Amino acid sequence: MKRQVPLVLCFVFGIVMILTQFSPHSFSQGVYKEVISWALIIGPFALVLATVTLIQTHTARIRRRTEHWQYSLVVFAGLIIMVLIGIPFGPQNTIFEWLYNNVQLPMDATTFSLLAFFIVSAAYRAFRARTFEASLLLITALIVMMGNVPVGDLIWNTVLFWTPWEDGTSWWRQWILDNPNLSARRGIILGVSLGVISQSIRIILGIERSYLGGGD
Amino acid sequence: MDFWSLIGIWVAAFLTLSIYSVLYRDNPFYRFAEHLFVGVSVGYGIVLSIYQGFIPLAWKPFAAAITGESMSGFIKLIPICIGLLFFARLSPRHTWLIRYPIAILIGFGSGIAIPKVLRANIFEQTHGTIAPFAEIAAGTLSGWDIFEAVLIVVGVICTLTYFFFAVEHRGPVKWLSKVGIAFLMIGFGSAFGNTVMGRVALLIQRVDFLLNDWIGAILTIF
Repeated sequence: MKRQVPLVLCFVFGIVMILTQFSPHSFSQGVYKEVISWALIIGPFALVLATVTLIQTHTARIRRRTEHWQYSLVVFAGLIIMVLIGIPFGPQNTIFEWLYNNVQLPMDATTFSLLAFFIVSAAYRAFRARTFEASLLLITALIVMMGNVPVGDLIWNTVLFWTPWEDGTSWWRQWILDNPNLSARRGIILGVSLGVISQSIRIILGIERSYLGGGD
Repeated sequence: MDFWSLIGIWVAAFLTLSIYSVLYRDNPFYRFAEHLFVGVSVGYGIVLSIYQGFIPLAWKPFAAAITGESMSGFIKLIPICIGLLFFARLSPRHTWLIRYPIAILIGFGSGIAIPKVLRANIFEQTHGTIAPFAEIAAGTLSGWDIFEAVLIVVGVICTLTYFFFAVEHRGPVKWLSKVGIAFLMIGFGSAFGNTVMGRVALLIQRVDFLLNDWIGAILTIF
């Protein structure tokens, strides 16, 4: 009951989703669409559970007065304001959109732009051209970066004007992306896909059971 | 510019500068913005999942079934009940019930992945690698195009050889694998270059906001 039923459910849903994709019959397509809508309904409950866990964690921090516990109140403030405005009035509400545009969106973009600093400092340590492979990685990254900005072509046309390529930096960037980069990506995609298929078969057949967790 | 737009620019500028302040060192402004970001993002995610997932897919069909418009909506009770089992996690005695929705979602994901991955990632990618050779046979490709087609095939084979652990990497396999590493390094270098440029574009956008929208708004006051 505790382990066998989930294994059976996993097998049934997995097989149904495989079979329905191979059959163009209207009944099969109806089942396919219905099961997809089921997954989209079940998914948000996991998000709510994750939110409950987040609330439990921060409540514990406040109760125990751990270091920087005051910031947990800020988490609650942001969460409660968004939910209290968003759920009754909807995501098209003016205040909700104002909060999204002036609070969430700027912080989202700023947080990701911070990576520009961290990634460059990490690259400085990692890319020191000690080996052939590291040099290859460094040169490719430089060409791709310089090919993305107009100054790259300006440098090429000034210094390497005698080569057969006009705007050579962006030309080589595009060539790298379309050829050696594409073949490496295809190799990775093929390898990963074979892994995904074999793992999916193992899960459906009940060979891989780690998702059930420990215990009875 | 209306009052709320002006307030919005000041709030966004304050939060932007608060997050950038971590570049100096960890400080209360950064911690405030970081925690606010977590809370607001989770709240936004909940609202979107309710309005784009739960209401149109579950609540509306179920409400239509209750009012007698369409009886098929009652079937939505099944995924709702399965979804509610996630909350069994909160009761230590019934926590095992969470395996039901997880098993269904994992079975669903695995089942949907097999044909889609086969089609999109195996057949299509292999076809894309081999297809140019049909044009070589037709004589429509230039010498440079043929070189590129051969290069891609060699790259794919060598990259796959690097990940092929069923045989020991010795002799010709070792050399193929070494060429595969070179292709992988070019791939990772390209990915790194593109990622850096993407992040720098975001940085430029934020600096542009601070210089033009925020400082520009201050200058218009004077």
